[in-house]
Amino acid sequence: MANQLLEVKELSVAYGDVRALWDVSLEVEEGSIVALVGANGAGKTTLLKTISGLLHPIHGHILFEGEDLVQLNTKHRVAKGIVMVPEGRRLFQALTVLENLRLGAYLPKARADYDDSLERVFTLFPVLKDRMNGKAGLMSGGEQQMLAIGRAVMARPRLVMIDEASLGLSPILTRTIFELIVALNVQGTTVLLVEQNIHMALKICSKAYVMKTGHIVLSGTGEELLADADVRKAYVGERGSRL
Amino acid sequence: MSSLVQILINGLLLGSMYGIAAIGLSLIFGTMRIIFIAQGTMIVFFAYLTYWSFVKAGIDPYLSLLTVVPFAFVVGLGLFYLLFRKAAALEDRNVSLLLAVGLMYLVDNLILRVWSATPRGLDISYSGAMIVAWGIRVSWLRLALLGLAFGSAVVVFVFLKKTRVGTAVRAASEDMEATTILGINSVWVCAISFAIGIALAGVAGVGMATVYSFDYQFGFTFAIKALVALALGGMGNVFGALAGGLLLGVIENLAAYYIGIAWIEVASYGIFMLVLIFLPQGLFGRRGLVKKV
Repeated sequence: MANQLLEVKELSVAYGDVRALWDVSLEVEEGSIVALVGANGAGKTTLLKTISGLLHPIHGHILFEGEDLVQLNTKHRVAKGIVMVPEGRRLFQALTVLENLRLGAYLPKARADYDDSLERVFTLFPVLKDRMNGKAGLMSGGEQQMLAIGRAVMARPRLVMIDEASLGLSPILTRTIFELIVALNVQGTTVLLVEQNIHMALKICSKAYVMKTGHIVLSGTGEELLADADVRKAYVGERGSRL
Repeated sequence: MSSLVQILINGLLLGSMYGIAAIGLSLIFGTMRIIFIAQGTMIVFFAYLTYWSFVKAGIDPYLSLLTVVPFAFVVGLGLFYLLFRKAAALEDRNVSLLLAVGLMYLVDNLILRVWSATPRGLDISYSGAMIVAWGIRVSWLRLALLGLAFGSAVVVFVFLKKTRVGTAVRAASEDMEATTILGINSVWVCAISFAIGIALAGVAGVGMATVYSFDYQFGFTFAIKALVALALGGMGNVFGALAGGLLLGVIENLAAYYIGIAWIEVASYGIFMLVLIFLPQGLFGRRGLVKKV
């Protein structure tokens, strides 16, 4: 296979006695955008949380550049370049935009590149520069999503995992956010995208996985899955609108 | 007129002790989400240490700030890692709260065992020194307490606003998991804010030793006073906590003068409950911090 940045191998996760993931395997090629789609409760967020070290698998492996991360905590995974943009953005609302960004570059290596990263974020999201000293909680939903992604970019990620970037955003803003994700990817950051807006996600990704009740049930290129009749019927809908 | 001014000044000076304790409570509450009920006992404990270093080694109490406060910080780190680290990770905050109650009674009784039940106080050579102006008398030592309180508030404020770890403390008190996601060691962030809370107990302990006579039972009452001060001032705001403390001191002194000493507690707890009923975010707290269900 080509140069895989992330390889998840037969990963199983349980919340107490309730199994959430069953032998999930996926691969994310360096420099690509990979989409992970599926209905609510399929295990997408669980998978992202396990990759970032917030949840611990009962078995399986998470290889990043060939190195198994399962024993490492979140801090060390972030230091290696795996950064999650969590569902619901989880910004520090009472802190300023700049303070949020500064916390993104908390670890020593990211801190050393702070000025460069900040410039990069402000180039990608000029609105954040204008709102620099305002409270994060006072921004609009779209701006908050930009800040959430910008905060992750400050950590100098190799792989950004974005959980439901379009949640609660208008179609126009959703398009903007997707364009920005593509721009980020073009600059060299690999992206693993969990999305409810399946149509959009399949259009920008090079590879996609479909999850259902804790299993990967289907995978292929974005075009293949968009063309797939079952996927269309189950997830995309007639006009390609959201679920 | 001058007697009213005298009462207000005395109130502010008494309240500065409550203020320091309330800032500590506020910091610990921010990350651990519990009322650290042992705060008063820790203050009394450090007051005894100040007393000891004065009696045994003749160290001036204000000089002992240099040893007691760093020591209190280390004690705070130790307590956090020994007692609270695991409990802090649980969703059920009651475990941490019960640990704090246990710690309070343990230290109370440790103090009783080591220093006996006899009230202690320092006999400092300059304790009678007063400033007298326009018929108002203010003891230097009590005035110094006010300085300690403002100094503590400024130091904590600058730490929270200007330092990297301080920013992380504010972030963690909003959303602990989100700090973890960014690779921040949230356990360490909690430990630091707890330790600063205990270091403030060290500051308050030194202050207490210089002006009060204290015994092993003093701690619980003091923690409750700090809690009242915090409720008055509002959570999540260093200067609010200080202001709440000063206000409580003034209320107590006014109550003592106008309705009688026996009514002090009735007045302060009455106001405490009125504030909680009508202004649950406190007088100076951030609006929206106390959410309606």
